[in-house]
Amino acid sequence: MDESEDVPKDFIKLKSEKLSVDEVSELVISPYCGAVSLFIGTTRNNFEGKKVIHLEYEAYTSMAETEIKKICRDVRQKWPSVKHIAVHHRLGVVPISEASVIIAVSSPHRAESLEAVMYCINTLKASVPIWKKEIYEDEYSWKENKECFWANSEK
Amino acid sequence: SEARSPDGGSFPAQVSVLYFARSAELAGLRCETLWVPRQVTSLQLWEEIVKVHPRLAVIRDQVVFAVRQEYVLLGDQLLVLQTGDEVAIIPPISGG
Repeated sequence: MDESEDVPKDFIKLKSEKLSVDEVSELVISPYCGAVSLFIGTTRNNFEGKKVIHLEYEAYTSMAETEIKKICRDVRQKWPSVKHIAVHHRLGVVPISEASVIIAVSSPHRAESLEAVMYCINTLKASVPIWKKEIYEDEYSWKENKECFWANSEK
Repeated sequence: SEARSPDGGSFPAQVSVLYFARSAELAGLRCETLWVPRQVTSLQLWEEIVKVHPRLAVIRDQVVFAVRQEYVLLGDQLLVLQTGDEVAIIPPISGG
């Protein structure tokens, strides 16, 4: 068997169309891997008692792609057996219960891909320039990830 | 002919400033070109931008810059800017 035919790849996409779990999983499947781990971030319908109508996402697209590439590079340093990584993030309006982000990682054995997926989503929330606006019935709110080191949390 | 100064610091650079999320709402636009000093601290650069868009002052404690796509805190860090550089105002992020 010639594993050099299956070079590790990063699949990064920011798009306004509905995300597909099937599509993202299939990107990372490899005959040399026994595990594919997935994270799907979906939109909730409520926040602090307020009904959320939908979410809107915007991004500094070129820098977001660069930051996600850095995350992939870090994943490969920490878990060298990881094969393929896919990160798809939706932009624009995301209706309730639909996916805003899907992350998939493949590896020969399950521990590495499970850990790598968690690292990806945690680091994305801390470092990738993407913003989420929650639209309620009478108002809206720009959200702030607690992972964001410069956010103005309770003082 | 070009004006020269001994330190080159005050000769201006024309940078592209990008506004996102709350900062775009406060500034009323998403991008523009501004003339700024070529050498400037990140805090001084913020103050230059607030002169143009005073409504941004309310988010000063919450934002960072991305200068040539690298994050920079508002403070004493000296920036060396060139015409064409991209400077983005980055409110607290909320991806994922």
